[in-house]
Amino acid sequence: MTEIWDGLIKAIELIISLDPEVMEIAGRSLRISGTACLLASLICLPLGSLIHFHQFRGKRVLINIIQALFSLPSVIIGLFVFVLFSRAGPLGELGILFTPIAMIIGQMILITPILLGLTISALSGVAKEIVDTATSLGASDFQITLLVLREARYAVVAAVILGFGRAISEVGCALMVGGNLKGFTRVMTTAISLETSKGELELSLALGIILLLLALIVNIALYRLQQR
Amino acid sequence: MSLIELVGLSHRYGSREVLKGLNLSIGKGEVFAVIGPTGAGKTTLLRIIDLLEVPSAGEVYFDGKRVPGSRKQRLEIRRRMSFVHQKPQVFNLSVYDNVACGLRWRGEEKHRIAEKVDLILKMVGLEGYKNRNARTLSGGEAQRVALARSLVLEPEVLLLDEPTANLDPVSSAKIEQVISYVARQHNTTMIMSTHDMSQGRQLADRIGVLIDGRLVQTGNADDIFYSPKNEEVANFVGVENVLEGVIITNSDGIVTVKIGPHRIGIQAVSNYPAGKEVYACIRPEDITLAPIFHRSSARNYFQGKVTRVTTLGPLSRVEIDCGFRLVALVTKISAEELNLQEGKEVCATFKATGVHIIERGVNQ
Amino acid sequence: MKKTSMKMGVVALAVVAVAAIVSLNVTARAPSLKVATTSSLYDTGLWEYLELMFEEKYGVELDILCVGTGIALEYGKRGDVDAVVIHDKAREEQFVAEGYGVGRVPFAYNYFLIVGPPDDPAGIKGLGPEEAFKKLMEEGAENPQQIKFVSRGDESGTHAREKAIWKAAGFNYTAVQESSWAKAEEMGYIEAGRGMGPTLLMASEMNAYTLTDIGTFLAYKGKLDLVPLVEEGQILLNVYSVIAVSPEKHPDTKIEMASSLIDFLTSSEIQELIREYGVKDYGMPLFTPCAGAEPEQ
Repeated sequence: MTEIWDGLIKAIELIISLDPEVMEIAGRSLRISGTACLLASLICLPLGSLIHFHQFRGKRVLINIIQALFSLPSVIIGLFVFVLFSRAGPLGELGILFTPIAMIIGQMILITPILLGLTISALSGVAKEIVDTATSLGASDFQITLLVLREARYAVVAAVILGFGRAISEVGCALMVGGNLKGFTRVMTTAISLETSKGELELSLALGIILLLLALIVNIALYRLQQR
Repeated sequence: MSLIELVGLSHRYGSREVLKGLNLSIGKGEVFAVIGPTGAGKTTLLRIIDLLEVPSAGEVYFDGKRVPGSRKQRLEIRRRMSFVHQKPQVFNLSVYDNVACGLRWRGEEKHRIAEKVDLILKMVGLEGYKNRNARTLSGGEAQRVALARSLVLEPEVLLLDEPTANLDPVSSAKIEQVISYVARQHNTTMIMSTHDMSQGRQLADRIGVLIDGRLVQTGNADDIFYSPKNEEVANFVGVENVLEGVIITNSDGIVTVKIGPHRIGIQAVSNYPAGKEVYACIRPEDITLAPIFHRSSARNYFQGKVTRVTTLGPLSRVEIDCGFRLVALVTKISAEELNLQEGKEVCATFKATGVHIIERGVNQ
Repeated sequence: MKKTSMKMGVVALAVVAVAAIVSLNVTARAPSLKVATTSSLYDTGLWEYLELMFEEKYGVELDILCVGTGIALEYGKRGDVDAVVIHDKAREEQFVAEGYGVGRVPFAYNYFLIVGPPDDPAGIKGLGPEEAFKKLMEEGAENPQQIKFVSRGDESGTHAREKAIWKAAGFNYTAVQESSWAKAEEMGYIEAGRGMGPTLLMASEMNAYTLTDIGTFLAYKGKLDLVPLVEEGQILLNVYSVIAVSPEKHPDTKIEMASSLIDFLTSSEIQELIREYGVKDYGMPLFTPCAGAEPEQ
């Protein structure tokens, strides 16, 4: 119990003193996971709409597969991205292993099923009559998609938030393809993992609390944004 | 020239046949009402006209041209129309944005949109609601938003599906007023579905009765109201007394029809010969009630006992057993004066011209 | 809702993404030397101590990947790092022999220790390492509740050394894993699958014995309720060496920078720093420098 208490105090200390290393790591976490989430959203929202609005063979199966991939462990994705970008791998030439780029790609892959699946289910939540009404008012297919996305905005933003949450909280992939390089690819979760292995439990807890706060702030910001 | 023409139109959802070989032609500027009971296929018909659905069989012509199959071309035609669906589906946006949607989708300029939206909101009486989220409106207000959203597009064809169903009287009146204003001022072609006879009668130039996927009768309001073509139409347009009988004599257009197990005779005007199996239809408001038997110019008078009285607003619906069941509609005041109640003896009178004779077995 | 504002929105988001990536310093960064190092070395804090000096002297970023010897060698074989710094002579020599490494350069050494609970329930204090292991096995089989041993179990250098000691003590390693000590319900012999630091913390929590390098042990000593019990024996010698990854297999690896690292680590200036490292904090040095030569016991 005292460790949790000490962790809390330490977290407050680190935040108040704006500990430069902690701030730097927190900022990096935010930028890497934020970028991953942003890019994944730019791909998944249109793609999810495409899947939702088109009827094709195997659509149900595809959605089932997407949903099953929600639970894909991040280390498996880490392993996959590692093998892909390792010098000995097919994309080794790019030399992006152990860089934030690789981490962004890994996290994008990690959250793509969530964003896709939840976008599809968000759109499914919009009444069919809305689509009919928009069609009757002369909306093109593209305009209908935009309108329905807008109708489903609460659920869509919830999907994005969940995707961001999964990206910023995962450790397996970040460690594996980022390498936890100090000042370059060290993010909140890999730092926590390192500090824990060093036995610095208070510092780990403090970082954990800061990570939680970070997620909270992003959540609030996104909800604010959606209410406009 | 007709603006919309439907030829041999049939539609099925799965194995259920909703429309069965329908032909209809609607002229430019015409206000056409489709009436019929729930489930008759009215909504499907409107959806096909709005090109939301492709009919299983038959052709749709718009402005003289067969409607093409490509989504782009269909969108172009659809943009000349506007459809107010039955349950008002407002978008989760402000009232202003709801109404502006269609114009934005057509790439209208911003200031033009603002002008038009303001004007139309005033017309439907929602000018103060501009910035309200449309989802927070009442049913009647939402329906007015839905109507404004369609009217603002100044469509050549306005499609209305049960525009006043389930609405309060004030909202209904407002909507009916706007519809008739637009029809007059803009010469907009309108096709509306309703199950409210009086609304169809009030707003439409021409009425089509759609029953079980078939357009059973089209004509002006009086044709349908007073001369229903068959039992179904009669039942639907509010002729409560549809009596099964056989013509026994015909002298110079005045027939006697024997009704019911007691073979009571009714006098009516008809050209059918003796022996014809028919329905005798009498509108309940065409029946007069008196406390005791007294002669009048009417040819039909029957003594009977009141079996039931129900109040319908200012009117009373009176069921009488006079050897056959007869339903009469009288004002509440006269019902009170006559002291109508169960068991009371009355005399029911109606003219021979008030009886409409329909041939039996022709409803197919 | 209009197309133009939609496009602008997408462009704005894309700009944000690019700005974020740029701010992550991916491209503008100085050339970097990637080194995979064993966790037992990283956990002592030596790398953090040396990193800045190297970066300043050579103007390159030094990226340290803290992993086990096994995965460090795998990174080297795949060309994902430019140098490895590890402590498993047999596998290092094999790595060089297979052509993945240019040459093995020892630069510091210390000793492994067998540490355990202060009351030493198995009574191994003062024994030789082989005898101590033998005794642990005997006592542990009888009393797995009391006598526990936490193994790294991660194919690291320390794990390899543990196996070597078991072999010298007359046990085949699989026999150890299959022994009644390991198979007992209470699990006397445990494979942690973690780095050196976590393994020590685990052993401390469980009142268990373990094999550790002295550097990590001293660095963690304050957090542990463990004492050194066996400190002497030829088999406990722990030599750290640096190997540059051969550019022949992976032309993209930075052999020149890797050579700079070797020069740096074996330079007299750094050798002196290594000798002094830890004296201030732990009261004794963690490493003995050996500047490129194999230490003699």
